[in-house]
Amino acid sequence: MDVAARPALPRRNGPTAALLGMAVLVASEATLFAAMIGTYYYLRFETAVWPPRGVPEPKWVVPVILVAVLVCSSVPMELGSRAAQQGRLAAARSFFLVALVLQAGYFAYEVHDFADQLRETPIDRNAYTSVYYTLLGADHAHVFVGILFVVWLLGKLAFGLTPYRVNAARVITWYWHFVNLLTIVVLATLLSARA
Amino acid sequence: MAVVAPPRPAAERREARLELAWRGRPGLLGWLTTTDHKRIGLLYFWTTLVFFGAGGVEALLMRTQLERPNNDVVSPSTYDQLFSMHGITMIFFFIIPMTTGAFGNYLLPLMIGARDMAFPRMNALSFWIFLASGIFIYISLFMGMAPDAGWFDYVPLASRAYSPGSNIDFYCLGIIFNGIASTLTAGQFIVTIFTSRAPGMSLNRMPLFCFAFLAASFGLLFALPVLTVDTVFLFLDRNIGTHFFDVAHGGSAVLWQHLFWFFGHPEVYILIVPAFGIATEIIPAFTQRRMQAFPLVAIAELLVVFIGFGVWAHHMFAVGMPTVTMVFFAAASAMVVIPSTIQVFAWCWTMVIGGGRFRTPLLFIVGFVFMFVTGGLTGIMFVAIPFDQQVTDTYFIVAHFHYIIFGAAVFPIFGGMYYWFPKVTGKLYFELPGQISFWTIFVGTNLLFFPMHIVGLLGMPRRQYTYPDGLGWGAYNLAETIGGFLTAAGIVLLLGNLLVSWFRGEEAGPDPWHGPTLEWSTGSPPPEYNFAVIPKVSSAYANWDHEDREEDRRRLEQGVLVLDEGNRQVAVTPVDGHLSEIVDMPHGSPWPILLALALSLVFTMLVIERYGAAAIMGVLCLLALVGWHSHEPAEETA
Repeated sequence: MDVAARPALPRRNGPTAALLGMAVLVASEATLFAAMIGTYYYLRFETAVWPPRGVPEPKWVVPVILVAVLVCSSVPMELGSRAAQQGRLAAARSFFLVALVLQAGYFAYEVHDFADQLRETPIDRNAYTSVYYTLLGADHAHVFVGILFVVWLLGKLAFGLTPYRVNAARVITWYWHFVNLLTIVVLATLLSARA
Repeated sequence: MAVVAPPRPAAERREARLELAWRGRPGLLGWLTTTDHKRIGLLYFWTTLVFFGAGGVEALLMRTQLERPNNDVVSPSTYDQLFSMHGITMIFFFIIPMTTGAFGNYLLPLMIGARDMAFPRMNALSFWIFLASGIFIYISLFMGMAPDAGWFDYVPLASRAYSPGSNIDFYCLGIIFNGIASTLTAGQFIVTIFTSRAPGMSLNRMPLFCFAFLAASFGLLFALPVLTVDTVFLFLDRNIGTHFFDVAHGGSAVLWQHLFWFFGHPEVYILIVPAFGIATEIIPAFTQRRMQAFPLVAIAELLVVFIGFGVWAHHMFAVGMPTVTMVFFAAASAMVVIPSTIQVFAWCWTMVIGGGRFRTPLLFIVGFVFMFVTGGLTGIMFVAIPFDQQVTDTYFIVAHFHYIIFGAAVFPIFGGMYYWFPKVTGKLYFELPGQISFWTIFVGTNLLFFPMHIVGLLGMPRRQYTYPDGLGWGAYNLAETIGGFLTAAGIVLLLGNLLVSWFRGEEAGPDPWHGPTLEWSTGSPPPEYNFAVIPKVSSAYANWDHEDREEDRRRLEQGVLVLDEGNRQVAVTPVDGHLSEIVDMPHGSPWPILLALALSLVFTMLVIERYGAAAIMGVLCLLALVGWHSHEPAEETA
């Protein structure tokens, strides 16, 4: 770069546009889920018996264990993101791969379980089943999007590390922290029907 | 305005390099692949004008139908589609895209001294999605299946049982589709405002216009997802048999209203806050004074939207809610008066002490203040719950909200069209026809909407396609219809004036008004790179700081912050505006329009209930996204 073109101003590090962009996306998605969870409780307090008669209570043992596993994927995501920032490409790849295995395993089981539940109790039974499946399905959809992000990131990292990809790694890690938090909140909301 | 020093060879060479780097492709392909915020702003402007025309024709058809008792120009079912489409069009396809899409896109980067938005390709994407969603919903009108349950689309009327056709499916999908575009724009503005300002422009030195657009963007960001959830629920209820709004199966019809108005009320402020922003630009320009109470006005702009999130149930006083709830929402609604009044006093006081050249743009702002106060005075009446319950769903309400969202939200848009016309085209508009257009619109609007207060109090309900003779409503309605056509004539005169001026107007020069903000410091129309050098900023009225503009010229000669190697701009820290990094910007891309196309296919498949095909089209969207991200910006070398 031409020396004269260098800015003659003091510099400080600010968050990149990509991080702010992800923050905005997360804010928008969080609002989406807030509206759905609000709906859940609104319908619940309009109904005398919750879940209504003839609908089984949500199971809790397996979902809690699975969500715990999913939430653990935040650790390799974060480690991968830091490795990428330090320029350790191989480490970053392995961490993201470990995270992907956890996430994909969770997702595969949950999709299978979702289909099973739908067979047992269809979505069009009543307002409870409507909001139950919609909330759970929306959460799964977000996990799926996160998985697509990680697959894409691994594809990019196969061709080396650039500042752009480091940024992408940080941003996708942020998204996953959000999705994990979201999954805990959604599960807690759905399990509140047992209380 | 200081005399421009003769440019030196070094400066000219740098400008030529910038010209080369930022030049768009020629011809139609250039427009289809553009990421230039000014071009996108213009695309938004023209598209939005077409929708404004459509919404206007719908309004005139309704006014023609209501001109006398027992009229039969249109059938009841057509009338239902007309008023529904009129509301949807004016809100989602005119005011929001005109303010954020056209004015915001064109002006925001110029005002903060940036060369483009933070995410230029996403900006193009939001336009193409907006255009596709507009076409999507208007196709339904030409098929005779337009939404017909009102713009707020209450269940159970909108449920499958009472609206068996595809009309409401078009509503749900069209609104979700359009919401994606608005969310992208909102996120774009937030990130751009926080990262792309010229170094030195700390938040307290940011123009009030930008504060207004920041407030509107936060409003959109947090309000739209709720509408999306609401319309998704309705779509599921109608198409896969869920029971969110079905009382017989444990659902709730009032739930629709809560979710809708949680979006719907902030929406009103989203519509009007950009108008505040435009007013705070035009008033300083024509009084040659800084806005009085600058920090208070900035806070008030944000506060209006913030309070706007806590007042939604005042739209539902007639529904039957607990008294405690109603009193809470009435009190919250009364609170909105405070930030609104702060702004009214600040505008008026600046005009009073500044005198002012009452040219057309400022006339529109004066008209706006008048309409806003009138509409506000009827607005505050609704806080009295028993009064609200009396006038709900009468023409009194229609009068109130048209004073606000036509009088107050659209007048500054018209004023802004005149004010920035010289900047965008490089030509001056004709003043006398401009002033005539203002008075025609002002008189027409009041003749159109004021009598609605009276017929409303006399009991005329809204959304009725006709009314019987002998109730004493005929004369008022005739006056309204005349007012409606007068308003339309004024708008045609306004647009005609601008069109003729575009070809025949005098050369405007870079700064005909001695404007306060940075857009007036560059050429008219601005070059594609906006500023030859990233401007120095030390106050909110940067164009009036002559030393800084001199400094810009010195910097251009010395090559400081010219960034003429490729498409570059600066990023700053969010609050203090310290230089953070130099970023490489994307420039021109076919992916936004391709992604929007794939997304329109998804929505088309959904509306004809081909869910498998919709999923396949979704895969196309993903492929487009992968293609989009195959290009990586160059690495920073500084």
